[in-house]
Amino acid sequence: MTLAIDRVAGRQRTARPPTRRSSWIHRRDRRGVWFIVPFLAAFGLFMVVPLGYAVYSSLYTSKLIGGTTFSGLANYQQVLTSGDFWSGVVRTVIYAAIQIPVMLVIAFFFAAIFDLGLVKFGKFFRTVFFMPFAVPGVVAAVMWSFMLEPHFGPVTQVLAAFGVQNVDFFGPNLVLPSIILIVIWEWTGYNMVILFTALKQVPRDMVEAALLDGATVWTIIRRVKLPMVRPAIVMIVLVNTIGALQLFTEPFILQQFENQAISTNYTPTLYVFNTATGGGQYNLAAAMAVILGLFIGVVSVGSLLFRRRAGDLG
Amino acid sequence: MRIPKIPLVAGAIALSLAAAGCGGASTSNTTPTSGVSVQGTSTCKSGATPITFWAWVPGMARAVEAFNARHPDICVSLQNVGSGNQEYVKVTSTLKAGSGAPDVAELEFDELPSFEITHSVVDLSKYGADSVKNKFVSWAWQEVSQGSAVYAMPDDAGPMGLYYNQNLLAQYHITPPATWADFASDAAALHRANPNAYLTNFAAGDLQWILSLMAQDNAFPFRYTGGSNVTIDFTGPAQTAFANYWQNLLAAHEVNATTDMDATSFADLDKGVDATWLSSAWGPSYFATAARASVGQWRTAALPQWSAGVNVAANWGGSTYPVFTQSQHPQQAATFAEWLTSSDAAWTILKTSPSSLFPTYQPLLSDPSFTGITVPLSGTATPNSTFAAAATKVGTVQWPPFMTEALTESDTVFAGVLNGTGTLPAAFRAFQDKLVSYAKAQGFTVSTS
Repeated sequence: MTLAIDRVAGRQRTARPPTRRSSWIHRRDRRGVWFIVPFLAAFGLFMVVPLGYAVYSSLYTSKLIGGTTFSGLANYQQVLTSGDFWSGVVRTVIYAAIQIPVMLVIAFFFAAIFDLGLVKFGKFFRTVFFMPFAVPGVVAAVMWSFMLEPHFGPVTQVLAAFGVQNVDFFGPNLVLPSIILIVIWEWTGYNMVILFTALKQVPRDMVEAALLDGATVWTIIRRVKLPMVRPAIVMIVLVNTIGALQLFTEPFILQQFENQAISTNYTPTLYVFNTATGGGQYNLAAAMAVILGLFIGVVSVGSLLFRRRAGDLG
Repeated sequence: MRIPKIPLVAGAIALSLAAAGCGGASTSNTTPTSGVSVQGTSTCKSGATPITFWAWVPGMARAVEAFNARHPDICVSLQNVGSGNQEYVKVTSTLKAGSGAPDVAELEFDELPSFEITHSVVDLSKYGADSVKNKFVSWAWQEVSQGSAVYAMPDDAGPMGLYYNQNLLAQYHITPPATWADFASDAAALHRANPNAYLTNFAAGDLQWILSLMAQDNAFPFRYTGGSNVTIDFTGPAQTAFANYWQNLLAAHEVNATTDMDATSFADLDKGVDATWLSSAWGPSYFATAARASVGQWRTAALPQWSAGVNVAANWGGSTYPVFTQSQHPQQAATFAEWLTSSDAAWTILKTSPSSLFPTYQPLLSDPSFTGITVPLSGTATPNSTFAAAATKVGTVQWPPFMTEALTESDTVFAGVLNGTGTLPAAFRAFQDKLVSYAKAQGFTVSTS
């Protein structure tokens, strides 16, 4: 045994002075620890502990009459068979299926225009387009709710002036489009900047080569630029899908303006919130949150794997 | 107190602005603690017993200052952590957490049983609350007590009345209807005379308002006296008759299906779209800020009656002040709650603007200096005299211990009545199912008749 260790040590010694190496590792470890402590502390305190607590409390049931008892997976069973929960999930999926493509097309359109330098004062307009992102989501939702308010909102009044009377943006048919409008306004500029940056990465000589081959601007955008920024688009779709499934702020604020416009289960996150604060069913809400988290996890990992196989990422 | 809708949003904006450093006017006696300013402590002596008090009534700090000046051994500090549900969520969370709850907080009448069932409120009869029992109208005292136990001090209330624009009613040759049958025929007549106007609005989204009107019709859907038995009955004969009465008016478009207590409904009242408002004693003070054209034209009458010759009133809203079991100083907290609700000194302050509370405190109800108050909205009339007469004719109701859930769900369940895709009887049935299954899941034995 001793021999063997000596031999190993000896071999190492020939490769690199062992004392130096081990102390270097030691020092590096310690320094590394200090670098990650702030992150780990925050991550543990605000992610791991609450997540663990949510899973823990989802296994119990607290009743006004009868107190708290261990109920195993009963809460999960109730959520999985709850029409109210899944109708909210379906609504957010419909929302995502409209909001993300529309926003992407607008964002790419303007990113391409700025990239080609087709407009004067490009920098100025890029900043203007980006500005909605700097407005906090709550403030944006409040602002838009005032503008779309069915009775005194300026948008409604302008429409009325043009002969379109009684448009109820908070009515059952238009409330989802109104939310989509608000979110597109908030996020298009941000995604445009990402796409613009990606477009700038496309090598100039490729564009020049295409030009020499007689390609039109439209062909260059479609056949050269678009394929080159596909990874960025995939990333945007993924991030926005996750965001869509967590839709909360806009419908929540809209509800303050017109209670009836938004049902308690309008989106899954709203349902989690209302189940906890309205009915005091914290355990059931925890089970919902866990299921929603898993659902989002499956959607994201699944689409990542799919895209990786398709060669868009990694 | 009543919680207006849009101002909540305005408050949220103000808060976020203040947090961003855009606001920030602070007076010498406000000390910021975790974003919420403490008020009322300027006269406190050092060493006085500290009492934390949460409330959202405007101008409440004046009463707290007056209490602290009179009680050098106690220092009550007032915090406004939000109105209604915003506050209840915080109270519930701090009670659950085991620390951080206030000693005293404002709770509406309908919320109190939710805190009784969790044993979160102190029985104030231990601290002499019984001695002031007779100072209050009897229904208010019954709603805060169970047997000999007193779980909160009743404070303000909202006896209901028919608030009407006398010029408009005269224009349509309508006198304030004495019965609901008259009310229905007047609604039809007015809408025939002017298809763009209504006798009144029906606020299907406001559960508390509907429940108050149901109570007047002897159709209140809940019975609960503590413990594990609760009655939920939205589908009995009385409840169905109530629902059908309003559904007939809604179906004929003879009442305005809209929201209440918001800018839209106030504009409808001001512009003559709605000629009357089934409102409460505190209603006018909210409407006053939005009224322009109709200022001076508003008069008050008793609610229409379901049978001629009787006089049944109803109450809509109002607050109570319990002491929480987490309090380290329940004796001092009770002293404050009792002083705040049952002393002439407190009511001298709270009856005036901006608090403008309507009392359950009898000495004030019969005081000409209170009943004789005039407000610009009503010209020379004295609305308080109508509401004070109603205050003593209110029947007692029993709130279930899950009103937050009921209020949360009601918006969704009654939405169809507002936008015309559902009927009131159908909404009552759906609401019944929702609440019964909730109550059962919470372990209650539920009776439905």
